[in-house]
Amino acid sequence: MLHLLAQAEPFRSPTVDFHAFAPEIVLSVSIVVVLLVDLVFDERGKWATSSIAGIGLLAALVPVLTLAVDGADRSLFDGAYVVDNFALVMKALFLLSGYVTILISARYIAEGDYYEGEYYFMLLCSLLGMLVMGSARDLISIFVALELLSIPAYLLAGWRKRDLRGNEASLKYYLLGVFAAAVMLYGMSLIFGVTGSTILTEIGAALDGGEAPAPIVVVGILFIVIGFAFKVSAVPFHTWAPDTYEGAPTPITAYLSVASKAAGFVALLQLVFIGFLGRSDVWGPLFWVLAAITMTVGNLIALRQTNIVRMLAYSSVAQAGFMLAPFAVAGDIDVDRGGPLAAIPPVVTYLLIYAAMNLGAFAVVMVVARKTRSGELSSYGGLFEYAPGLAVLMTVFIFALAGIPPLGGWLAKFVVFRALLDAGTPAAIVLAVIAAVNSVISLFYYASVAREMWMRPVPDGDRAPIRIPASLGSALALAAAFTLLFGVSNVATRFGDLAIFGFLP
Amino acid sequence: MVDTIVFVLAALVILSGALGVILARNPVHSALMLIMTLFGVAVVFVAQEAHFLAAVQVIVYAGAIVVLFLFVIMLLGVDQADSIETEPIGGQRPAAGVVALASVGLLVLLAVRAVQVSSGARSTSSALDGEGTNLEKLARVLFTDYLFAFEATSALLVIAVVGAVVLARKPAAEDVQDRKGVGALGRTRSGSGR
Repeated sequence: MLHLLAQAEPFRSPTVDFHAFAPEIVLSVSIVVVLLVDLVFDERGKWATSSIAGIGLLAALVPVLTLAVDGADRSLFDGAYVVDNFALVMKALFLLSGYVTILISARYIAEGDYYEGEYYFMLLCSLLGMLVMGSARDLISIFVALELLSIPAYLLAGWRKRDLRGNEASLKYYLLGVFAAAVMLYGMSLIFGVTGSTILTEIGAALDGGEAPAPIVVVGILFIVIGFAFKVSAVPFHTWAPDTYEGAPTPITAYLSVASKAAGFVALLQLVFIGFLGRSDVWGPLFWVLAAITMTVGNLIALRQTNIVRMLAYSSVAQAGFMLAPFAVAGDIDVDRGGPLAAIPPVVTYLLIYAAMNLGAFAVVMVVARKTRSGELSSYGGLFEYAPGLAVLMTVFIFALAGIPPLGGWLAKFVVFRALLDAGTPAAIVLAVIAAVNSVISLFYYASVAREMWMRPVPDGDRAPIRIPASLGSALALAAAFTLLFGVSNVATRFGDLAIFGFLP
Repeated sequence: MVDTIVFVLAALVILSGALGVILARNPVHSALMLIMTLFGVAVVFVAQEAHFLAAVQVIVYAGAIVVLFLFVIMLLGVDQADSIETEPIGGQRPAAGVVALASVGLLVLLAVRAVQVSSGARSTSSALDGEGTNLEKLARVLFTDYLFAFEATSALLVIAVVGAVVLARKPAAEDVQDRKGVGALGRTRSGSGR
């Protein structure tokens, strides 16, 4: 053994750019602080954990901003970990939606019978995984980031331990999640096998050369895309979503439908537009089918829902279909219109706007549930009569989700349609028509919520006003402000255009 | 010569272990026989100079996974005699027979093809070139290029520990009745629409 050690060349530690890692480091520190505070203080000190978690997320935003001001693209570990504009935009989205999640969690977790410190620990760990996902540019980092963000989410989905539906939510999410991860790993190993690299840019170069045997590449790409289709709850891999959304604590439902879905899309964007860029003949049709059936099936089932959480769950499935649409036509976009990479800004723009409006809708659901203790659509009857402010806000979020101008969702749908029309092929036009029909269908169930709030009588005649706690109020204000801002200005599209990859094959 | 002897011995261990798994009456014995098979596979790995895989085979499979099997078997109760007469899924025996036949056919096909195609030359994908053993190169890569993924995995372990505690911990007596809080927003039994 000793002679082996003697002949080994001395170990050189890798150079680490700590500025590039600063957001992750700040978040890791707050994770440890939350865990220690929970350990040291007794029941009376638990309230501090939510504040610490929130402050930690905002503090992690500071290095994201300094990195953005600095502007240089950084590549670490041979390109496995990249900090570029895309990564920074997505990290800001994750941190802000995580912050809103903590705002809407604070009262829910404190008032219910839940473990409080561990809840925020799990939430922050999951967000750490998302930050890593934003920068992960090789298969191993992507997989570790996926597990890091998923495993706390499995646990959080079952946080209502003594509720059978909560257990079902967690178990379903866990089993389907690990199954999807296994399928994805199989695909990754095939891709690694034919390209000989785990770094996405090198995979992209190897696949583009066309030397890799086609069947293995097709199966590899198929399996990887299917793995992430589970994460973004695309039909036919959406079956976990409604049950999990319904059984999980409502703040976690909001978190899963926004941040977790965004993380799935971030991974897909990186894999498809860096790793598999040259093989749009393989993933183009795949995404076309996924997008078309996801929005159609999601919308049709949403029409029949009588529970608002399940309705929002299916609506988020349908929205994922819209986000998948630009992938389907990326290969057909002309070079003078930006080429395949022009499909990235619509997806990012959609993710930003969707985060604001969906978090807002869930915040209203939580506020109303504090009074009515129900998630049934009928419990929203006459909301305008006793809580006009809330009714107006919910209407804003609901019509934003439906895509009515001048609210944010309109712009999100617009950029997707523009990408589809830019491609201009018959397949793209057909997909645009399907998307347009679906926008109309979705208006029915979104409008039914509005009808309930504005026109129906109060179901039990209880017109006591709803008290809105400060944390939920600020979450509502943040979400509403962003929903309106994104609708009337081009902030979201500007960020979408900013989010470009620094390193391509 | 030594290679052949090692291979034959290891193959004997693997096969007898595998037979033991399916023939043993007691599930605990089956699990223990599985360890024997896995050790045999580890020996084959060592013979192929894949020392890391051999170590992983013993530590992860024989160590962790079979222990998990044993936990499950012990928790379900060893002496509980399962009736194998009733079939939970209809027609699974014929289906299993068909799948088994197909697998055997595939193996025979592969073996025939391998005889036709193989040149008898050593595999080129053995040890990597350059200084140092495979193990050393692996360690070097793990702590340089993949350092970040390695560190992130350590966070996963903390999550697993905290999560296991949260899931397994019993509530203190006074916590059992739900305090006032927003309960389930689930559908009521009557008004469900899937």
